[in-house]
Amino acid sequence: MEHQEISLKNKIEELETITSFLDQLAEAWLLPPALLMSINLALEEAFTNIVYYAYADQATHQIELSISKQGDKLKICLADDGQPYDPTQAKAPDIKLSTEDRPIGGLGIFLIRKIMDNVHYQRDNGYNLLCMEKQISTPN
Amino acid sequence: MTLNIIHSGGFTIVQVDGHLNTLNAADFETQVMGLVERGDMKLIIDCSKLSYISSSGLRVFLLAQKKLRANKGLLKLCCLQPSIHEIFDMSGFTQIFLIETTLEASLTS
Repeated sequence: MEHQEISLKNKIEELETITSFLDQLAEAWLLPPALLMSINLALEEAFTNIVYYAYADQATHQIELSISKQGDKLKICLADDGQPYDPTQAKAPDIKLSTEDRPIGGLGIFLIRKIMDNVHYQRDNGYNLLCMEKQISTPN
Repeated sequence: MTLNIIHSGGFTIVQVDGHLNTLNAADFETQVMGLVERGDMKLIIDCSKLSYISSSGLRVFLLAQKKLRANKGLLKLCCLQPSIHEIFDMSGFTQIFLIETTLEASLTS
């Protein structure tokens, strides 16, 4: 099993850190470009949610990102010490609504669940732990 | 992300190049909605060079569509790369946007 991790601050600019971290990983692990885009997207949505909604204070917090590859399966986990929040319980938007009736927003978590094969959440010792799995061979 | 704005055949064409994400969606929104505010009611967003989009970018497309519809305007999208088209499809956006495969088609129809 191969494993990489990185510690991020709860600043939205860290999305750039995530992108370059993934670029390096994709090169080292020979991940296909379409898969790289999918995991970048899922991580952007999950990380953005944490930065914008997890913390009521103005303090700097650390968010831990870890990615492991076992066989042809990628497992991507984010751990944050913010308020408890389970994205797997978020209500899915109605994507059949007309332009006029479609609410603005609410797509981020929905996209994570569409893109990834498996999304799992647990609250563990004061941390939100969100893990997302994706088969490398799955067509994107 | 860079935007290139040109005028052709009565349309304002917005060419989006690069990544559209949480970090630059506000800038994209200001520029696109700025065109609508000043009265450009026939818009084409050319996505041929758009290589990445997240929900923050999708949000701006929906905002523009709502605003233009409400003001009897017209928004067309063209030339989505397959990976971008897939995200539009997942989001239900292929049902609510006029999407053409070529810029010529969006200018003539």
